[in-house]
Amino acid sequence: MAIKKLDEVEFGVDLPTFIPDTSLATTTQFAKLIGWNAPRFTDHEAAKKEGLAGAMAPGVLSQGYLVAMIHNWAPVAEVQSVDTVFRAPVIADEAHTITGVVTDIDEDNAKVEIDLTVANEKGETRVFGTATVKLPR
Amino acid sequence: MDADIEEIREKYLNLNFDEKQFTIDPETTIQYAKLCGETADRFLDADHEEFQAPPAFIACLSGSRMLPKGFPRFGIGMDAGKGVECLQPVRPGSTVTGKTHLHDIYTKTGRSGRMIFVVTRIEFYDSAGNHLVNSDSRMVMRERN
Repeated sequence: MAIKKLDEVEFGVDLPTFIPDTSLATTTQFAKLIGWNAPRFTDHEAAKKEGLAGAMAPGVLSQGYLVAMIHNWAPVAEVQSVDTVFRAPVIADEAHTITGVVTDIDEDNAKVEIDLTVANEKGETRVFGTATVKLPR
Repeated sequence: MDADIEEIREKYLNLNFDEKQFTIDPETTIQYAKLCGETADRFLDADHEEFQAPPAFIACLSGSRMLPKGFPRFGIGMDAGKGVECLQPVRPGSTVTGKTHLHDIYTKTGRSGRMIFVVTRIEFYDSAGNHLVNSDSRMVMRERN
């Protein structure tokens, strides 16, 4: 059920798990869209020559996934800030899941704080972040 | 705080060293939204009355310089993270101006030595001078021993 108002949010609740499209086709398309044409984003073999496990999703794409996840949960949410830490590469063509949990509710200002994590199939955290969103009362 | 970092902070923090204009292309912001998995119409439908770029889109825009001229090179820089603070929506089809300064410089010391973190902030303004959004890039440099 999509969240529409602040009073529908409970402290500590998990957001629905979000499965980002981390296929090489998508990460390549994204990298080219924003002008990041480095082979490490578009070519597994070239990325391996740079010491990576494979082509990686641009960090800003991972950040975009986090925001999209919030809007999937609460389409009316206004994201006021999102801070993202790139802990390890998100490797293209590997499955990832994004989880989120509500860590604070500011009733006075109608704001909610959410911790977000991008993890791979092994459960390793690749990216994590915190977002502050405003919701209608 | 280490004396050399204190000195660098005094010399470089909060001084604009770059200014650049960006045209926000609607097709690009829509494509960005689709690739991220956005489902809200205000990011996907150019005819929506609240049509706007997704909040983190602005993090894809880079200034002409990441660091001011003369800034010391401690080691190879790596992208450690991004932060976006949204003050007002960024409207596709508009032109925005990005003004860049160093927002923070700090260190962390681990077993392998000192790491220097530099936060470069781009403040984006619309053509009327309204402050729309801040985009922070956090770079980490492992100090050469």
